[in-house]
Amino acid sequence: MNLAPPDATTDARRAFFDARPASAAAVDLSVRIGGLTLANPVMPASGCFGPSLGRLIPVTELGAVVTKTVFGTPRGGNPAHRLTEIRAGMVNSVGIPSRGAAGYLAQQHPHYQALGVPTIISVGGHRPGEYARVVRDLAGSGVAYELNVSCPNLDRHGADIGSDPDAIREVVRTTRLETDKPLIVKLPVLVSSIADCALAAEEAGADAVCVANSIPALPLERYTRAPALGNVIGGLSGPGIRPIVLRLVWLASRAVQIPVIACGGIETVDDALDYFSVGATAIQVGTASFGRPFAMVEIVRALQDRCLTDGAGDINALIELWRAE
Amino acid sequence: MTVTPEPSTTPEPAETSQLAALRRQREFAAADEAAIDGLLSVRPPERMPRPEPVWDDAPVLVHDIVGERYHWLVLATRTIAATALAGQFLMITVPPKGGERILLPRPMAIHRRHPEQGTVEVVYGVAGRGTTALADVAVGERLLVTGPLGRGFEFPDAALPTATGAQQARTALMIGRGVGVCAVMGSVEDAARLGLKATVVVSGRSRANLIGLADCAELGAEVIPVTDDDGSSRMPALAARLRARFDAGPPDVILVCGAGVLARLAAELGAEWGVPVQVSLEAHMACGLGYCHGCAAPVATDPAVEGPLVCVDGPVFDAAL
Ligand SMILES: Cc1cc2nc3c(=O)[nH]c(=O)nc-3n(C[C@H](O)[C@H](O)[C@H](O)COP(=O)(O)OP(=O)(O)OC[C@H]3O[C@@H](n4cnc5c(N)ncnc54)[C@H](O)[C@@H]3O)c2cc1C
Ligand SMILES: Cc1cc2nc3c(=O)[nH]c(=O)nc-3n(C[C@H](O)[C@H](O)[C@H](O)COP(=O)(O)O)c2cc1C
Ligand code: FES
Repeated sequence: MNLAPPDATTDARRAFFDARPASAAAVDLSVRIGGLTLANPVMPASGCFGPSLGRLIPVTELGAVVTKTVFGTPRGGNPAHRLTEIRAGMVNSVGIPSRGAAGYLAQQHPHYQALGVPTIISVGGHRPGEYARVVRDLAGSGVAYELNVSCPNLDRHGADIGSDPDAIREVVRTTRLETDKPLIVKLPVLVSSIADCALAAEEAGADAVCVANSIPALPLERYTRAPALGNVIGGLSGPGIRPIVLRLVWLASRAVQIPVIACGGIETVDDALDYFSVGATAIQVGTASFGRPFAMVEIVRALQDRCLTDGAGDINALIELWRAE
Repeated sequence: MTVTPEPSTTPEPAETSQLAALRRQREFAAADEAAIDGLLSVRPPERMPRPEPVWDDAPVLVHDIVGERYHWLVLATRTIAATALAGQFLMITVPPKGGERILLPRPMAIHRRHPEQGTVEVVYGVAGRGTTALADVAVGERLLVTGPLGRGFEFPDAALPTATGAQQARTALMIGRGVGVCAVMGSVEDAARLGLKATVVVSGRSRANLIGLADCAELGAEVIPVTDDDGSSRMPALAARLRARFDAGPPDVILVCGAGVLARLAAELGAEWGVPVQVSLEAHMACGLGYCHGCAAPVATDPAVEGPLVCVDGPVFDAAL
């Protein structure tokens, strides 16, 4: 059998890397987060990117990259299975294994630096006071810190730190003392008021909020009812959570002046534009990158192309062109 | 919570026999896990750098049923066909079909590599939603595939015909069960190319469900077919048969995929014969590239430190008692 075209000496990945027209790069998609300017508003969601994905896509076309959450000291992670897929979406209970701040700096940060894109370091803690210490230990690496407050608070019987506005204030206030770099607070979904949580972050000195993390869920195997995940409970992500997170982004955007970074089920440029239309300044792509590694780069290119074809100067103009009367 | 509850695709099995089958499946998985407990370790760094993974929109050239329950895919993907090493795998993204959306790509072993034709073969069984939707893909459609991925099988230096002091032909024993045969087939190809004599235990439920018999014949490998229906695949029977076949002249390496109990048997035989054993594992995966940390390997390590990952440290591990 010799059915492959004889001239097919290349693969789709290589073609995708080919240079973009100069006109596309001329479109200004830049966004500001605190004192930081990113070339465009598209970045990966924490835990859904690593330097190895940079071998498959031209990462330099992204606005920034975000690391997996780094804790102060090494952590193992959860037992298998750590992830599964049900009709509602992907469910993961990876458990955030981490090499600790020192391990991250020595073994992982150099690979991020080599990507040639601004690196936002995601930071975790088991108690509100820990975040500041991790940021101090990161010794100025990274262009900004995303504080993942969707972590169980060991001082409060395991409720998420981010579900308590007072705990959010403490995290931001103490971390602010350690760095002048932009602080982004990544909020959980299950909170009584996302507006109060976002306001708490803003008042304490955060430069942006990221809305949101995955949604706590319990997937069971069909018929046997055995837990599908080793940790029993995991986080639901993917397109099914988009309308839930759209509501949260809309509520958060109305509550605060600082930028809102949207994260939840974004797969295409139209999903991204939905979030921009309810007030998001930037977007993060998580689950979509697994099935389509180039999804993030496609969104950047589509934003450029749409601005060009519609004659829109920026994303806001693009949204206004289409907005229903 | 406003997530739509998952509608059932298939009606609840009324038959208690179906429920019993599901229970058996779980028991099998538990036995499998117990069998490999304490057996595995990460292989030492490879001799050659791994090929660079790519993604490709691979045209489906063939998509047929093989045996009673397996599906055979031939994909045109020149770079992967030319670079894949034995025991490496692909992540196959399942396209949307009839309203069914599959988010995560599915890991599949590269069963055969045809670098001259620019094609690879995959053989898979339908397990759940993803593979059900994959079975609907028609010839002529394209599949997004990423690969080649992972740490594959490698013949140890002592098993190579070029090894110093190699007087007689070197031999390799491959043991595969079900679709696990696919993971070892690349090594059967390598054996044919390098001049090793390969013996392949092909295990399955019944004769009609054995995978790779024609491939082994084409590659000049000796086949030991064993099945559940006549009891020949049972551990004591298979162990006795392999001892009878190899005690006088053991193979130089044993490569295994498809069942934990087979991995344990191979480790026992490897210890008796003083030969290395390599085992390919499965794990739920999202990225296949080492960044999602979803595929923790069942290898005992310090619980405070993350253990190895099946997609980058494996899927092939060393096995020893
Ligand atoms: C390295 C490697 C090579 C493989 N090679 C083959 C092969 O050549 N032929 C073949 O038929 N199968 C192979 N498998 C198993 C195959 O990936 C699963 O059968 C498939 O993912 C099941 O998906 P599903 O949606 O049909 O099942 P579902 O049960 O609906 O899947 C739910 C989730 O669990 C995951 N999952 C379920 N079972 C497995 C499993 N056994 N292994 C990994 N993930 C699983 C799925 O990927 C999905 O994310 C391989 C697995 C690995 C890790
Ligand atoms: C495998 C996996 C690992 C994740 N790890 C982290 C993490 O370490 N830190 C974090 O803040 N969020 C983590 N998340 C959550 C994502 O960053 C994101 O908030 C969520 O998946 C929703 O976006 P999506 O629908 O685009 O995936 C993880 C998600 C997945 C699927
Ligand atoms: S599958 Fe993502 S780390 Fe192994």
